[in-house]
Amino acid sequence: MASAGKEHLYKVLVIGDLGVGKTSIIRRYVHHTYSHNYRATIGVDFALKVLRWGADDTVRLQLWDIAGQERFGNMTRVYYREATGAFIVFDMTRPSTFEAVLKWKADLDSKLMLADGRGIATVLLANKCEQGHPLPANGLKMEQFCKEHGFAGCFETSAKDNLNIDEAANFLVTQIMASEHALLRRAAATDTVTPQLDRRRRSDGCVGCLK
Amino acid sequence: RSVEHRDAGWKLFGKVPPREGPVKDPRRIQKEYETKTGRAGHSNLTSPRQNVRKNLDFEPLSTTALILEDRPANLPAKPAEEAEKHRQQYEEMVAQAKKRELKEAQKRKKQLEERCKLEESIGSAAQTWNQEILPNWSAMCTSRRVRDLWWQGIPPSVRGKVWSLAVGNELNITHELYNICLARAKEKCRSTDAPLAPLELIKLDISRTFPQLCIFQQGGPYHDVLHSILGAYTCYRPDVGYVQGMSFIAAVLILNLDTADAFIAFANLLNKPCQMAFFRVDHSLMLTYFAAFEVFFEENLPKLFAHFKKNNLTPDIYLIDWIFTLYSKSLPLDLASRVWDVFCRDGDEFLFRTALGLLRLFQDVLTGMDFIHMAQFLTRLPDLVPAEQLFQHIAAVHMTSRNRKWAQVLQTLQRDPERGSPVLKR
Repeated sequence: MASAGKEHLYKVLVIGDLGVGKTSIIRRYVHHTYSHNYRATIGVDFALKVLRWGADDTVRLQLWDIAGQERFGNMTRVYYREATGAFIVFDMTRPSTFEAVLKWKADLDSKLMLADGRGIATVLLANKCEQGHPLPANGLKMEQFCKEHGFAGCFETSAKDNLNIDEAANFLVTQIMASEHALLRRAAATDTVTPQLDRRRRSDGCVGCLK
Repeated sequence: RSVEHRDAGWKLFGKVPPREGPVKDPRRIQKEYETKTGRAGHSNLTSPRQNVRKNLDFEPLSTTALILEDRPANLPAKPAEEAEKHRQQYEEMVAQAKKRELKEAQKRKKQLEERCKLEESIGSAAQTWNQEILPNWSAMCTSRRVRDLWWQGIPPSVRGKVWSLAVGNELNITHELYNICLARAKEKCRSTDAPLAPLELIKLDISRTFPQLCIFQQGGPYHDVLHSILGAYTCYRPDVGYVQGMSFIAAVLILNLDTADAFIAFANLLNKPCQMAFFRVDHSLMLTYFAAFEVFFEENLPKLFAHFKKNNLTPDIYLIDWIFTLYSKSLPLDLASRVWDVFCRDGDEFLFRTALGLLRLFQDVLTGMDFIHMAQFLTRLPDLVPAEQLFQHIAAVHMTSRNRKWAQVLQTLQRDPERGSPVLKR
């Protein structure tokens, strides 16, 4: 490891309804491949993406690809623990998967909260964008939607045509780092409040313990 | 002219046309090379190289071209001893290549022989199953001999029959009942188009079931059959409905049984306690199974168990996929079928025993990994899991813990949920 470079490890959840392309996005992002032939994810799948960040930092993204069927909710929710960022994915050609986005977001926010009471950095991905735009919500409306519901941003992605996936991931990393900094500043300012400090320490442990 | 033709052909298939003119036939290159060197070698006609060449009946083309070349005319000639040395090196290389070829040929021959032998043994096993065992099923199925034969893998031609008999039909499902459920499912399919309806989920998942086989996809020969069985099941057990993983189980059954019989086996298989716990996503009961698994994990592979614990790798992370699909997604299909064979013989216990066998097989690799790499490895096992080796490792797993068998351990844990998985209970 470069002596000056810092290593960041972030656990990132990839959630959303069944069949929206979560696995495809991850395969494209990490393995640079695409296939029509991905098998359904049962439970959870994993991938690791290592990024050079800035001059000499390294970012390791642990991607948790979580099965989309609602029924698995009880079982897979334990996997939210200690995540620092999330992608919520929907399929632009299936409006019902967009309607489910808020359900996933609420679910996420109810399970995970940062020390300052905010949710973890979450980016909305409108996948399969190569197949046209049958969604009512696009452009300005989407921006407003994100603001209203606490998404850091939204990207139209295509795992098939490799559109916007790197951009979305870089954006998420920036957001994760920003909220990390905000937390550190906050902790430094209010170092008398013990419970919050404990909480912060735990998330710090997650970031620092890996090699 | 032929070159032009080929060029057009490439374009026809959307390939980029060759950048530097037509592709040269390697033989032509070799010929050109030979005429060129022949011309260059005019000055020393009796080059020893020529003799060497004629003496060799085996001659890899590419290396000849590279190694036997004299220095270009504008450089001083090779000293004799160096030339000799090079010739020797070349000869050694050729000899080695020959040896390798021979070895590979022998290996191929051996493989072929083994395959023939295997096929023969499968053939004779099929005969034994068909003529001796199946007609006397209830009397023979628990005998030592049949159990041993069973462990070695059921021949594909009788596999479906044996599975059906072993799974049984406690639910007394008839072909008529299947048809009724199917008719109801079809009716429902027409009347609703709710996006989250189970039938809609089934549609999404079917194309993602063994996609590499290309037989369950839209337009494939078994697409409708798979759809029918899963749809009929949601009508047979609306309280369970469709749960991901089912499509893989139904697909494996379809590959071995006729549709109605596959449905009967499917429904009865899912009705087993472990499968019911998982497919109803009975979380606390699932945790009990994981806890029982951990008891045997620690007993069998204490080092790896400690390593997993240190890295917070809980069994649910890999077991969920393995149990929900009965290994049909994570293992090659022929190997998964062998696991199913013994699962039909031994029940739930064998699923967890197989998991321990896999961990045992890959113990050394896993011990060197951190959390994410282990998780990745276990949720996406190598494409080539050696069947015989895996079964040797499974056989080596002890399924007793302090004199208690799997069922007893499970029962104790069920009675006392406080003793559930220490890692998962938080």
